[in-house]
This record gives sequence, C-alpha cells and structure tokens, in this order.
Amino acid sequence: MRFVDEYRDPAAARALVRRIATLSNGKRFAFMEVCGGHTHTIYRHGIEHLLPDGVELVHGPGCPVCVIPMGRIDDAIAVAEQPGVLFTTFGDMMRVPGSSGSLLDAKARGADVRFVYSPLDALRLAVDNPGREVVFFAVGFETTAPSTAVTLRRAKAEGVSNFSVFCNHVTIVPPIKAILDSPDLRLDGFLGPGHVSTVIGQRPYRFVAEQYGKPLVTAGFEPLDILQAVEMLLVQCAAGRADVENQYTRCVVEEGNPRALAIMAEVFALRPHFEWRGLGFISQSALRLADAYADFDAERRFAVPGVRVADPKACQCGEVLKGVIKPWQCKVFGTACTPETPIGTCMVSSEGACAAYYNFGRLHREAALSVGARA
Amino acid sequence: MSVGTAAQSAAGPAGALDAERGAAGAGGLPPGFGVDVAGAALALARRFAHGGTLWCFAPAWPAHAHHVAVEFVHPVVVGTRALPAVAVSAEAGVAGLRTLCRAGDALVVVASSEEPAARRALARAPAWGLTTIWIGAGPRPAPGAADHVLWWEGEVPSQAAHTGRFVLSYHLLWELTHVCFEHPGLLEEPQVCSGPACVTCGDEGRLVEVLRLGEGGAVLVRAATGLEWADASLVEGVSPGSLVLVHAGSVLTVLAEGSGE
Repeated sequence: MRFVDEYRDPAAARALVRRIATLSNGKRFAFMEVCGGHTHTIYRHGIEHLLPDGVELVHGPGCPVCVIPMGRIDDAIAVAEQPGVLFTTFGDMMRVPGSSGSLLDAKARGADVRFVYSPLDALRLAVDNPGREVVFFAVGFETTAPSTAVTLRRAKAEGVSNFSVFCNHVTIVPPIKAILDSPDLRLDGFLGPGHVSTVIGQRPYRFVAEQYGKPLVTAGFEPLDILQAVEMLLVQCAAGRADVENQYTRCVVEEGNPRALAIMAEVFALRPHFEWRGLGFISQSALRLADAYADFDAERRFAVPGVRVADPKACQCGEVLKGVIKPWQCKVFGTACTPETPIGTCMVSSEGACAAYYNFGRLHREAALSVGARA
Repeated sequence: MSVGTAAQSAAGPAGALDAERGAAGAGGLPPGFGVDVAGAALALARRFAHGGTLWCFAPAWPAHAHHVAVEFVHPVVVGTRALPAVAVSAEAGVAGLRTLCRAGDALVVVASSEEPAARRALARAPAWGLTTIWIGAGPRPAPGAADHVLWWEGEVPSQAAHTGRFVLSYHLLWELTHVCFEHPGLLEEPQVCSGPACVTCGDEGRLVEVLRLGEGGAVLVRAATGLEWADASLVEGVSPGSLVLVHAGSVLTVLAEGSGE
C-alpha cells in the first residue's frame, strides 16, 4: 500500500494542512507517532515542515531495532560466534552496534551471519543444513511476532531440532504507558501504529483515552494518512474529547487478527521486565518463548553473557526516543554519528528517527543552523 | 469513550480534495487537471523508458481502450517513437490482465468509479507491480484507488464517454508522455527505499495477490517484486485472487476476497 501517488495529492494535502491550521487555532499541540514507519513518512515527505508552528510531531519508540539495548546485541554476537552456528536475522539488525561491534563485524570476523526476509526462511535453512545450529534473531512488535510464532509451531510439528529463536519481540502498549507515566509528559495525543494494529486491533489502546484522557488515532503510512490522522486528533482536542479512532480503516479492524493473537498466546509468554534502550526497564513489555517451546529457546540452548551494557555517553538515543530532544539536537548527530558509522541505534535503521532526519530532514533551516553553530 | 472510524471525519482527504479543487481549471479542463495529467505522463514515460508496456482497459467502452493503445503504438507526430501499448478486452477482463502484465508495466483504465471490473483490476495492480492511471467521470474514486486519477467531476460518465472528454484526456496524456521523452534526465526512477530489508522497523505490510493455495497454510502470492510463498495460516478466507497484506513472510490480513479467477 506504499508509494501510491494518489495518497500524496498536493491539493488534498494543502487542504488538510489548512484545516489543521484552523483547528489548532494558534495553540500548541504535541502528538507522538509511535511507529517508525510513520517517522519515515513524516521526514521523507517533509510533513513536519507543512504543519503550523504550534503543531509538533514527536517521534516515539516504534522502531524495534532502535529500542534493542546494546547488551542484547552482545548476546546475539556471542551466539553467532559459537562453532557450528548459522545465525539469521532481518537486515535491519546487521549494523546495530553492540559494545564490541555489530553482527556485520562478527560476520567479517568469520561468523556465519545471514539476513533473511522471514523467520520461515531461517527454518528452511535449518532443514537444509541439518548439521548446523540455525538461530533466528527475532525482533519486532506484534506485527512480526506472529510470523515467528508460526515458524516455531511449524518447527515443532516437523521436529526440526537444529532450529532455535533468540527472542527479542516487544509489545507496543507498555512503552506507550511508560511514556504516559513519564513525569515530563508533554503530549496531547498519539498516532497509533498501522500494521501492529492489524494484529492487535484497537481495543488495547483504550486505556490511553480512558485512563489518561489522551486521544489516539491509528494511522496509515501515506502522507495524507498522517495529515488526516493529525486532523482527527485536533478535532478531538477542539471538542474536548479523548477517543480511540481509526484512520487506517482500509487495513485495520477493531478486533485485530484473532488467529494471530491466539498463536502468539500459545508460543510466547510475557517477560516480567525487559530493557528498552532509552526508556529503561519496562514491565511485561517483551516476549519470551513459552515453556512448551523451551526447546527452541536460544537463550536456553546457548550460553549468553546477559550483561547489561550502558549506551555510549555521547549518544542521546534515549532522549530522542522519549521525544525530549530532536535528533539534530543530539551532540553527535551528523558528525560522529551518521548512517554509515552509527553510534546510536536511532541512526541504524532507515526508520530510526535520527537516520530518517539525516536522510530527509537535515536540510531544514533550523536544524542546519543548529548543526552549523556546533561545528 | 468510544471507538470511532474515519467516517467521523467524513470529508477526509477526498473532501479536502473537493475543497481544494473548487477553482475552475484552464481551457475547460477540470481544476487541477493539468497537474494531474503531467504527473501521470511522467510516471508513464518512466515506465516506458524502463521497458514497460501499457495495458489499456475500458470494460464498458472497449473502443476507448483500443483508441488509447493505438495512440501510443502509432504516433501521429513525426519523430515521436512508437510505444508498446495493448488493449485488453472486457471479456479478457481482470484474468486477462493478470496473465498478460508484468511488474514494471502500466495500466490505463477508462471507466466510471462504479465500474466493478475496473475497480478489481486497479485494486490488484499494485500487487502486480503496475503503475495505474484511471480516466473517468462522475463521482471521484477514493484516494489511493489508482496512482494517478484524471477525472471529470460533475459530468455523467456515460455522456463523458461520448463527448470527447476521455479522448482529450488520453490525447494529453500521450502528448505529454512524449514531452517527457524530450528530457531524458526526467526518466530515471526516483529511489524510494534506502535498504532492502527494513521489514520490522517500517512496520511493513506489502500488498500481494494470492495465486494459489499450497500445503500447510502456504500460499503462492504475486508481489510487485515477483512470485513468492507466504504463510496464510493466520487468516481465514484466503482463496486465489485474494488481496492480502504480508509481513515477514506471513499474511496479516485479507483486504479483498478472491474471485476464484
């Protein structure tokens, strides 16, 4: 559904921007887009520059690569470098730096690290290489977790004993709650994630409106989707309402995907707590393999260091992920930290706020002036 | 607290578009038509420049499909190149298009926004990797129905089909496509993605069409990048022709039921 020009009609965009300006009426509003895909769209199309000065988009923790702490990368590398291991992951993870390099560096050192498009591809590798231990580095929100669950169920059914999963799946609701509980909260509403919501539906977000009095609008990924979602948020704010609404009706339904939720409940269990880069430990915010699938758990099959590693001092990914600072306000943005040589995870994935800003937003006048002043 | 939908913002992008298009256009053309046809011509020229074929489909008015094709194949202006274009009959329909087209081609449809065969073809075209242009009249289709929409709002479709509105539209499209060929620098496709596997971070959902059912919940799907297998055990009601969203090798949701074609 991406890259459709009709969703980018300039006339429609201008009309929506005018309506947004009218609704905001000179007041200040800050809305957080939770999803990395939204961040990418916003920067790529310059949407934040179209909005009135008072309407700010804050970039949230919705890039699953960006929130993986360095210690988990070190654990992955430790598994990948064990003899006989064929380590697989999505391409996003290859360049994420741990404390002693990335998986790409481990590959250069001789580890057999390959990127795959689907966990099912990793399972196929296990079937085709019975003499190797194939490990899949599972990462992602509820959009991706069902695919890992399907793969594990198939591995179990087919008795593929040389396949395991290093599980780093995270869930979207706890970080939203953590952000809402933050003492320096300055948000007026949320743009809810699009394809995560095809799985979990709309109901899990109700607490945002009911308990915190903030509106949330699930949005699609095209520029007009984003603008319309902002408009829907402003309509709620203007009316003093706080509801959960769905702009992305062409894909998202209220109840989500019940089958996907059922298989996730079968294959995964909630971790008591999990560290999020920049956000710290968040209760019940990540998934591990359920006991019935313990044989496929790479953390049980291999010795992993499990050491917590602090982020580089210069890196301010945490503040970026919480929306406290903009990417270009980080001390190393665009100088020591670039997409080619990332220091923080936000610069790694093209959907990370820093990389998106570097690739598409860095010529913005204000940012350019700021970077120039520091240089 | 209530859970609302986009219907609450009933005007939406389409409504905004209506408002934006309020001013009259030049030379009797609909407001904004010039920008629309220029964008469509550039996209079409880029597809031709990279070896694409234009498929022309007008289920209710097949003569228009033939006319579009012949414009491109037999250029009337000296020095302009012949471009590959083929009319697809109403009888061949969506099934015929599915068989004939390949990723990188383009599809021009001349039809009203209510024409079922046109809607089916255009809904599937992104999964086939086609650039789509929809020429029509009457109520405007919803945003996203085609990549480029050249529309005569306020006109009755059956009348517009005979008053020269559609002919003017595709004559302009043809002429401007050749103008684009005079500027080779325009013909490079813009880069749209910086990496091949931004699967998780992009919260990716790729539109694909199911071709056939396999064993164990697997389905063979047609994506803009080619044929691939996906797992469909997480959804119900998948059949050949279904339009689905795929993420990391699994079908997440069914967007349109299959027709069994």
